[in-house]
This record gives sequence, structure tokens and C-alpha cells, in this order.
Amino acid sequence: MDQEKLYALLAREMAGVLTEEEATVLQQLLQQYPDASYIREVFARNWVPVGKQYNTQQAQLLLEKHQLRMQEVISTADDTALPAKRPLWLLYTGIAASILTILFVGGHWFLSKKSNAPKELAQLVTARGTRSQLLLPDGSRVWLNAGSKLDYPKQFAKNTPREVTLEGEAFFIVTADASRPFKVHTSAFHIRVLGTSFNVRAYPGEDSAVASLVQGSVEVMLDEAGQQVVALRPNEKLTVPVHPPTLNNSTTTTASPQQVMPVYRSKLTPVQDSIITETAWVQNKLAFKHLELEKVAALLDQWYGVEIGFENDSKKQLYFTGVFETESLEQILDALETTLSFKWTKDAAGKIWIE
Amino acid sequence: MRENEQIKTLFERVCYENSIQAYNELYITLCSRLIHFSASIVSSYHLAEEIVSDVFMVFWQKRNQLSHVNNPVVYLYVSTKNLSLNTLQQQKRHRHHSLDTLDTEMLAIAPEAENGMVSAEVAQKIERAVRSLPARCQLIFRLIKQDRLSYREVSQLLEISTKTVDAQLTIAVKKISQAIRFDLSDELAQTYLHQDS
Repeated sequence: MDQEKLYALLAREMAGVLTEEEATVLQQLLQQYPDASYIREVFARNWVPVGKQYNTQQAQLLLEKHQLRMQEVISTADDTALPAKRPLWLLYTGIAASILTILFVGGHWFLSKKSNAPKELAQLVTARGTRSQLLLPDGSRVWLNAGSKLDYPKQFAKNTPREVTLEGEAFFIVTADASRPFKVHTSAFHIRVLGTSFNVRAYPGEDSAVASLVQGSVEVMLDEAGQQVVALRPNEKLTVPVHPPTLNNSTTTTASPQQVMPVYRSKLTPVQDSIITETAWVQNKLAFKHLELEKVAALLDQWYGVEIGFENDSKKQLYFTGVFETESLEQILDALETTLSFKWTKDAAGKIWIE
Repeated sequence: MRENEQIKTLFERVCYENSIQAYNELYITLCSRLIHFSASIVSSYHLAEEIVSDVFMVFWQKRNQLSHVNNPVVYLYVSTKNLSLNTLQQQKRHRHHSLDTLDTEMLAIAPEAENGMVSAEVAQKIERAVRSLPARCQLIFRLIKQDRLSYREVSQLLEISTKTVDAQLTIAVKKISQAIRFDLSDELAQTYLHQDS
């Protein structure tokens, strides 16, 4: 009996699932069966395949073989496929073309920018309670959160920055293209990126706008002229207070005064495992950490497209942490209510009241 | 586990950032294990290499839809399993395509013999004991000992309960332990007895 137990515990130890209690029992059994210590040691060793083995070099060769196959299979139509090594003449014609483009288009582009002549623009709008996903013409991917609006050109011009304008919240995975930096314009700041993934939150109704970087690097320009620039590192976010509307209306870039904006840089907020509150919505998760109930209500409001009111203003200052995925609005409210700090009701019009 | 987290990070970098570097690293890290796993189903290393290459190809093509994948390791193993079974079916070499008919030739593992602790003789005994295990039991032992999958991951991959995984692993450990035990030279056993007393 004891021996059977010993084998079971050795197995569990090897699999890394031994509990503390089991570890104590194992120690006792090892004293009882001294030769088991040797066996235990053998299992802790490094084992190797008896047949064919692949060392690092062979793995590298396999990878190269794989890359060749990929280039054959994935047609050139998919421009996000693994980049093939380009022949040199293509590079030179590319450079020549870009010089020409700069010469001919450059002037025109500056003019068109001044005169505000619209390029062929497309717009994606999401209502409250819905989210959407979009593949941009350059292969970059955008997730648009509820109640947001994204303006983007139907086609990105060659060798000019890829520019989009956002109102609301979006998560971007930008395809790298050194010749065409990617820019996101919001009313609070402008972001310049090369290839990376990041989240931008700039809802008109909120008192601050936030840029959160997951991977890569981005520069946040607080003015369009790029005089106040903050570079973000992965896992950092920048919170920028939004100007009162009077200041916001000025469209001239040179006239903006050299005031120092009280922006602040901070770390992204992990709630559990790999869930980060700033980007959880992309994975259809609603996550918040130590957030005032007032802001949680605003999140739910946006997520489910409902209205939430407070009958007792003091409740706005309660703090909550949570991650929700498939729960209904009612389930979430019930879960929060179990903290016994507030009660919720729904009135005839469907509006939620917190008291 | 640390390695698992690393794999997850690489996987996410591929999904969110289209990172080719992370993709290549993932390939290097996982290809050998996946090839062995696939080879045990299709009975050919050559075929298995192609299958794993295909698995990674699909992964690249679908990378932007995979950001919801909770466990990249399980995802890649399950893809490999499915593609391997499909390949068998296309070749019409077998009527029934399941993990019941595994080629254990590709699964056997044994401790490295040169490290002093384990003599060549003991290593051989262990190898024989491993080979004598039922195919599925051998597969489970390999997935946990060699590929360092968790109970949960194995249970998801093979569609069995974690209890079964635990029981099968215990059987493997028992058989191997007994083989070592019989082989333990008196001398060695004595050394351990002395140390203990």
C-alpha cells in the first residue's frame, strides 16, 4: 500500500503538482524506503529521447526549411506574410520612387493638408454596447470599443505617414513599415508609431485621455508640431488631462502656448494572469482594478449600453476590482452587490439605480 | 511554470504585434517536441516535420484571430494532433484514426547516461521499462516528463480526465521504479542505506 502511495507521490512530484501535505508524506516514505531516494533522483534528472533527437542547430535548419515553405505557400497577395528577401534592384527602385514621390507629391500634400482637401476617407462608428474589428489596408488591425469613431483613408498613400483619427477607444496592432510611420490623432494628443500594439482611450466625455503601450514603442505628441513628446516603453501608459473646450477649439498649431501639461506616466494595471485592465476589452473581457464605482458604472454603461444613475452620491466613491467575460449586466451588478456596500434596482424605463 | 509563461508571451507577441522574431523563437522552442508527438501518430519523422511546419503556417495565417487562446501550448499540440490524424486519414493507411494506435518507437525517453549518477546499464533498463509501457501511458509519461505539460494540458489534449492522467503517470513511474529497483546493485543500495542511517 505504502509503495503504491510512494509511486503516486513520485509521479506527482515529477509533474509539479505535489501539495505541501503530500510533500511531507513523501519525505516520510523516502525514509521508509531508502532506495526510493535514488529513484526519485533519476526522475529529477534530464531525460532525452532514445530515438531521433533534434539539437538547436537542427531546429534552426528546420526553421529555415519552414520559412522557405511559407514563402512558397503564402502568395504575395498577403502583404503581412513573412517578408521575403527583396532583390536589390527593387530596393533601389523603391528609393528612387520615394524620392520622386516626395518631390512631386510632397508639395501637393502640404497644400492639400492646409486646404483640408479630404482624401477618400472611410469611417467606422460603434454604438454604445457594441464593439468592432477592422483590418486597415496596410494589414494593421484595429479593435474599436463601444461608442467610438475611427476615420481612416481607404488607401494609405505610399511613403507618407499612415494617419487615422480616433474619438473614443481603440486597440491597434500596427504592421511595421519604416517608410510610412503610423499616426493616431485624437483631440488630446497625437501618437506616432512604427510597428507595435497599443491602446488609445480618448472619449470626448472623459476628463483625461490615455495611451497604453503593450509592445514596441510609440511617441505621444502633446501638440501637433511635435514639440512636447513623450516616448513610452512597453507596459507603460500616459494619461493626459483633456483641455477645457475653449482651448480645444484652437486649430492652429503654432499658437499653442508653451504651457507645461500635467501629464503623468504610469504602469499598466494587471488584474489577474495576463489580463491587463487597459486592454482586456479587446479580448471581450471587462476588467477593472481598484476603480471608483462611478467609473465602473461608466464602463458598464458603455459596455452594455445602459444608463446607470446614483441615488446616493457617496456610493460613487466605493472601489471595486473585477474581471468579467460572459456575465450579463445583472450578473455583474449582483456580483458587485455581494460586497454589501450598495443595492441596485432597475426602474420601469430600464435605467439602473444604485443606492 | 516559467517556460510556459515565456511561450505565452511569445505567442501574444505574434498575435498582437505580428512579431516574426517571436514566431521564429516559438518554432525553435517547440518544434522538436511537436515533431516527436506527431511522429508517434504518423510513424514518420519526415512526415511529422512537414506536419509541424503546416501547423505553424496555419498559426501565422490565423495569428490575429488567436489572441483569445488561453493556452498556446495546448493550442499548438491540439493542432498538431488534428493535422497528424488528418494526414493519416488522407493516406488511408489505417481505417481508424485515433490516438490508440501510437508508434511508441518515437516516444521512448531515458535519462542521460553520461552524468555519472545513471550508469549506461540502468539507463538501458529504464529505456526497456519505458518501451514496455502501454502506448497511451508512454505518451502521457513523455508529455509530462519530457515536454513538461501540466495535468490539465495533457487532459485537454488527450480528452481524458486529470484523474486518468494521474493514474497513468503513476503506473509509468511504478513500472520504471521497479525496473531500477531490480537493477540496483547491492553496492549502490548499500551506499544509500548507509547515508540514511
